[in-house]
Amino acid sequence: MEEVAEIKQRMERARRSFDELKAEMARMIVGHEELIEQVFIALVCGGHCLLEGVPGLGKTLMVRSLGEILSLSFSRIQFTPDLMPADITGTNVLTDDPSGRKVFEFQRGPVFAHIVLADEINRATPKTQSALLEAMQEQSVTVGGKVHRLENPFMVLATQNPIEMEGTYPLPEAQVDRFFFKLLLQYPSREELARIADLTTAAAPAPLHEVVDAAGILQIRQWVRDVPLADMVKDYAVRLVLSTHPQRGPSDEGVKVAQKFVLYGSSPRGLQSLILAAKARSLLDGRPNVSFEDIRIMLPPSLRHRLILNLEADAEGVSAEKIISEVLERVPEVL
Amino acid sequence: MSTEAEILRKKLSELISWERRKRSEQILAGILFYALLATLLTLPFHSLLPLAISRYLVPILAFFILAPVFLIRQRWRLDDTARAVARVDKTLRLDERTLTAWELLERDETRAAALWVVKEAGEKLAAFDPRALLRRNWSWQARLALPLLAVWLGLVWLGVGLQLDRVAEFSASKTLAQKLREFSRDLQERAKVEGLQQSLRVGRELEQLAQKSIEAKTDDEKLKTELAGMKKQVETTGKSADQSLSGAGSQQDLRDLKAELEAARDILNMPAAKGTEELGKQWLDQLATLPQLKRQFDLQNQKGGDLGHNDLKSFLDKLEKQATGELDRRTLLEAQQFLDQLMKQGQKDRGESDVQTAGPGKQDLPEDNEKTSNRSNLPGKEPGKREEGEPSLPNFPAGAAAHVKGLLGEGNSRGLELKGKPSAGKSDVSQDEVIASYRRQAEAELNTERVPDGLKETIKNYFLSLGIGEEPK
Repeated sequence: MEEVAEIKQRMERARRSFDELKAEMARMIVGHEELIEQVFIALVCGGHCLLEGVPGLGKTLMVRSLGEILSLSFSRIQFTPDLMPADITGTNVLTDDPSGRKVFEFQRGPVFAHIVLADEINRATPKTQSALLEAMQEQSVTVGGKVHRLENPFMVLATQNPIEMEGTYPLPEAQVDRFFFKLLLQYPSREELARIADLTTAAAPAPLHEVVDAAGILQIRQWVRDVPLADMVKDYAVRLVLSTHPQRGPSDEGVKVAQKFVLYGSSPRGLQSLILAAKARSLLDGRPNVSFEDIRIMLPPSLRHRLILNLEADAEGVSAEKIISEVLERVPEVL
Repeated sequence: MSTEAEILRKKLSELISWERRKRSEQILAGILFYALLATLLTLPFHSLLPLAISRYLVPILAFFILAPVFLIRQRWRLDDTARAVARVDKTLRLDERTLTAWELLERDETRAAALWVVKEAGEKLAAFDPRALLRRNWSWQARLALPLLAVWLGLVWLGVGLQLDRVAEFSASKTLAQKLREFSRDLQERAKVEGLQQSLRVGRELEQLAQKSIEAKTDDEKLKTELAGMKKQVETTGKSADQSLSGAGSQQDLRDLKAELEAARDILNMPAAKGTEELGKQWLDQLATLPQLKRQFDLQNQKGGDLGHNDLKSFLDKLEKQATGELDRRTLLEAQQFLDQLMKQGQKDRGESDVQTAGPGKQDLPEDNEKTSNRSNLPGKEPGKREEGEPSLPNFPAGAAAHVKGLLGEGNSRGLELKGKPSAGKSDVSQDEVIASYRRQAEAELNTERVPDGLKETIKNYFLSLGIGEEPK
């Protein structure tokens, strides 16, 4: 019973941390509550986020604020076509050691931070984009045959503009798959716009308070994995993921849509993201277990970037969002 | 085990028991529905069952045939338990706490996170009553089972299956055996009414033969062979029947004679008719109104005025016996002819029509026996009373026949054959005598089962409408 009380306290701490984070973020960011929650979930799950939205919606501000609130190191990389991989990972430079001998010393790149903002990631060449691959997956970079560990926790928040496609390099599927979530930033509502005007044209707000540190994040990350998940709920998540595959899955309407418009369905990483995110959501909501509702809510950010649609979908203007909503509608929670 | 875990186990056990019970009820209701549906669909064939009570056993039989299939297919599985637990979560909005706790209990998880889930689920389900919260939700099959049962019972009560069978039987072309059975039943009915013992016996034998043939599905050729033997038997019986009534005339005359004999007996039984002289006088008066009896009386040179009560009685008895014997003989002759035609059926095309027209009691029917609207078969405003301004009944030409038929509703009816009053100069019997004679015949008919109750009053009214309320004295 003592263990139960202890874990209950932990859960309560995690929830309180998240509530405080939301409150602090609300001082700087107007709206986007759901987005902030999903970014935090990705962080406590050890994932990375791809943010998609038009310029000026506060993507960079949000990421920077998150770094401050969490007391984590933050770096920003503005991706351009001439950006080189070494500009991200760092490089060996020739320096003099104390004895006067010339030696190579590793100069760490901007990737060596807890939170890395890869702004307009699709503007860099695929070679440079790929430099982030190892960092995102292995949480390490290899330069000159030497492996350098990155910070822990480490999170990449990449942004891309869905409108300007000229002079961009769409991210390779392998790299997209490594993002835990793909989050869409919506244009603010009328009230939110008015509040943004008030907030940004008045006196600068007071500095943000630190809510939780790196150690706290890592602890929550551990607790997330401890959240129990019922087999039936897990089965629902599996069926949802399988339903996105045109060749597999139960024969229902959701599959028919997938068969028509999907070229490749979600990878197993999609299922991992979905379940972890659902666990984190239940934890941050103060619940001891994962529910069907958690799975349903976490499905779009987990899978939308993992569905590769065919030309027919492109021609008919069918988005991944639509397919996911169809899948959610057609796949029953309990068989 | 913690208190919450114990509570949870207990509640889950209650829940599963309740859900299993509901499932069993649903399965049984479903089986009942499909059993009744199968029974209703096969209703037209139930008449083929050997025993009448078998019809009631059909749904029971269908129930027991379907039961194993349903019970095996819809048996309770582990997934059903999981579904039931998930339903509790949905109903109580527990965010799958119960479902997760149930699985953790099954796995004997002892992690702190698992214990917390079990604890929370136990607390939430402490006041949970599955019977109150998860009520029965009958499927459409279960809802339709009782109405279907009522429909089936109604149809059985109405004998729809048998009627359908009869319709099918009639719609199909009749076999020789069926025709024989039909004829034999008509023959028996007629023989019973008229007291024809030989004909009744032959009718029964013919029906037995026909029934046996139908049940054994004997082919027509074999039946014809048996019919030949039966025909000989009928012929022998016909020859042995009494035939001592000379000048009997047609079968109708014989029937008239029998009716008149009844009327004559009434006269004999009257208290005032005990004295010989008075009886003789009354007898001669009445004899004038009984043409057939008078003819027989004249043929046998009887002097009515000289006969006593006992003499007259023995004379009437003897005459009745002779008339019955003659009728019996002629009926047997008809049966013989029918069998003859039946055996010829198939050999010539007109055989069937011959058989149909040669049915008992039908050979005397006029061709124009269609029911037509006329004053005699339409109901008046007041039965038995002549309406003012209405034309009197038309004169019936000699030899023509009029029929009083069933006039209301549907169903079988028998016509009472009445001959029209004779034209002047062509008959030596007065109109009053004829009407009185027919009236007696009609009264005799009214006392038999051949006249439907609903028509008895109409027939009486018809005679009253003729304007002669009493017999001529």
